[in-house]
Amino acid sequence: MKYEKLAIVGIIISIIFVIIGCTWLSLSAETFDEIAEKFGAKENLIWNPPLPDYEMPGFEGNLLINTIIGIIFTILTFIAAYGIGNLLKSKRVK
Amino acid sequence: MHIPDGFLDPWICLMMYAITIIFWIFSFRKTKHILEDKHIPLMSTLTAMFFAAQMMNFPIIGGTTAHLLGGPIIGITLGPYAGLISMTVILLIQALFFGDGGLTTFGANVWNMGIIGVFIPYIICLAIVRIGKNTKSLLIGAFLGALIGDVLAAIFAGIELGISFLSFPYSIQIAVTAMATHHFFIGIGEGIITMIILSILIKNRPDLLELPKATPYWLGEFPKFLISKGGEK
Repeated sequence: MKYEKLAIVGIIISIIFVIIGCTWLSLSAETFDEIAEKFGAKENLIWNPPLPDYEMPGFEGNLLINTIIGIIFTILTFIAAYGIGNLLKSKRVK
Repeated sequence: MHIPDGFLDPWICLMMYAITIIFWIFSFRKTKHILEDKHIPLMSTLTAMFFAAQMMNFPIIGGTTAHLLGGPIIGITLGPYAGLISMTVILLIQALFFGDGGLTTFGANVWNMGIIGVFIPYIICLAIVRIGKNTKSLLIGAFLGALIGDVLAAIFAGIELGISFLSFPYSIQIAVTAMATHHFFIGIGEGIITMIILSILIKNRPDLLELPKATPYWLGEFPKFLISKGGEK
């Protein structure tokens, strides 16, 4: 039971991170991107992601939508990791 | 540090995929022997937390921003193999849904952030803990591991870019120097935050740090001293 409580606390902290990340600390000017731009490297996408730069096309800069996307994908990440963990565990049990 | 499609030459992408696949195979094999019910909520929580934490961009030098990688704390808590699986989940979701990191460069990104960024902090932290055998050495090891892990991951990214003669028109020296210099400061931040998270865990849940970890057999696990000593403060 104590591990389930841990998961709930973790998800709440994650949601706080998402809210901070989508509002206060949302400006992304990553060192890597700056260096690449300075050196003239060109991105050549082979796959068009549905939510480029963590934003919904047509709603760029909308903090609420960005936060909702962040929260949904944080929960999806949790579910994906949980699923993989269970898959690995169940293989061992068999 | 997420390398997008088009930045690396095809042969480097293939080579990095090949190396990374070997680590994935080892990770899945090793992890399934270790993973218990109690690991799964911790693994999924840390994976979700650092997916979310990577959305926070902290201002650093020169008007640029940086975010946490999370590899050090995930690796130290879960062990490097399970840590690699966690980081792979994060990087895959970022690449597929958000275009944060490419698909052709996915192997390279996993190598930099999921293997170097997880295994190196674990190894450094483990070495220092074995010498000190107390919580102070765990925190020092975590700080140094996170710092060196971040810088090494950046150096590898710089090397991959630098030897991509067709895609990236600058020398390896320029790419490595630029990446390593900036990521030294990011590494200090990652080290401090890794220490803070570990301090909270030591104080409140030392049992989580002493769960069996999925590690290469030749590395072994952390000496157990947190619970047995009641968690030194």
